[in-house]
Amino acid sequence: MSRYRFAILLPALVASVGLLSTPDANARGQFVRGANTSVNRNFDNRGVENRNIDDRNINVNRNVNVNVDNHGCCDHYNNNWYYDHPVATAAAVTTTVAVTAAAIGSIVRSVPPSCASVVVNGIAYQQCGSTWYQPQYVGSSVQYVVVVAPR
Amino acid sequence: MKSTQSPRGTAPWRAVPAIGLLVLLTAAPLGCAVQAPDAKSTDTKPAAETSANVASSNATQPATATASDAGTVDAQAIAALDRMGAYLRSLKSFSVKGASTFDLVSEDGQRVEIPATLEYQVRVPDGLRMHVRSDHKEREVVYDGRTLTVYSPKEKYFATVDAPATLHELVNVAATKYGIELPLADLFLWGTPQAPNSAVTDASAIGPAIIDGVPTQQYAFRQGGTDWQVWIADGAQPVPRRIVITTTTDPARPQYATMLTWNTSAAPAPSTFAFTPPAGAQRIELVQVAAVEEKSP
Repeated sequence: MSRYRFAILLPALVASVGLLSTPDANARGQFVRGANTSVNRNFDNRGVENRNIDDRNINVNRNVNVNVDNHGCCDHYNNNWYYDHPVATAAAVTTTVAVTAAAIGSIVRSVPPSCASVVVNGIAYQQCGSTWYQPQYVGSSVQYVVVVAPR
Repeated sequence: MKSTQSPRGTAPWRAVPAIGLLVLLTAAPLGCAVQAPDAKSTDTKPAAETSANVASSNATQPATATASDAGTVDAQAIAALDRMGAYLRSLKSFSVKGASTFDLVSEDGQRVEIPATLEYQVRVPDGLRMHVRSDHKEREVVYDGRTLTVYSPKEKYFATVDAPATLHELVNVAATKYGIELPLADLFLWGTPQAPNSAVTDASAIGPAIIDGVPTQQYAFRQGGTDWQVWIADGAQPVPRRIVITTTTDPARPQYATMLTWNTSAAPAPSTFAFTPPAGAQRIELVQVAAVEEKSP
């Protein structure tokens, strides 16, 4: 069942990855893990960086699953220099943002392309209708925190 | 030798100094005098040094441990690693370009390969500029001995934070404080105590290989949740010409492979290591890893 919940909602996502020719592509779900990019590490923050991210508002439709702790290991999402997530994810967020009131403090990995880049008092925001996001780097990835409207 | 390792974790004689002698006795029947010291050093590595990696890989992927045959550490391979590390650390400045493939893994275990380029420009001890680019993501990292900047050309967001005085410290601070683990950070760690040979559980010399027309020697290692290979150039400049890292803690075993082209006489201009925000770029925060943790629901 979980394989099919992606089928309707993810075609744009899949298309963006260029894998539509794969028959089972729609059932793949999100790319959640990646290879280690170094051998030596005297630190181990694997799995730490995403536990905190509140993905509820982009999981509402169950179409974008960025829960990366499923496997308890190996995740380098924010250390992944090669892939954050498909641009098309933003479309899914658009829908979700329209459906749910984004909670202040919640974090998403992308905002809809229709959002406006706005600077207020020297601070960069993305304004998406009545929802305001403040971008920040977490590791090498830009994430967006829902904040109180600055004006 | 692996079979003697697992019970040792709980054996009451674990801390007995005679363990070294025991290992020697175990290794002796192999009839390889050269291997014995390496086997000893591997088996008696301080628990504090590598226990995190070993423990986590064993805990998350018991199959990995059983899949490997008795780990053997070839002295020649370790010597080559040492020589490469010493050479890399002898460089005062350099630039290196990489052509990489990076494996992504989907929720249900499918691997997809992402091609990418990587470039480092380095001034020892306090300058670094990194540019990494795939079809999906592009980042620049700039460090001048005082500040560290991360920049995304597409989003035009940059973040600048205070940084330690040396590149060596930077690699660790960036990773531990900001969750920024530089790709192929090993290039800065080999030849230092942070890339201890004791972390290598298996080392093999595979043989001669031509990489990009250059004669190299291929070596294969196992270490902390990875199987990794390096092709080290023959001659007086033993640089890694190709590196392949296979993540063995992931059942899909994703790989990161990079062909490297070196300029060991590069002398980047000082401006290389200064970040000048491009027109329209906006500054945002770089969140500390600990700060992010505190936000956990």
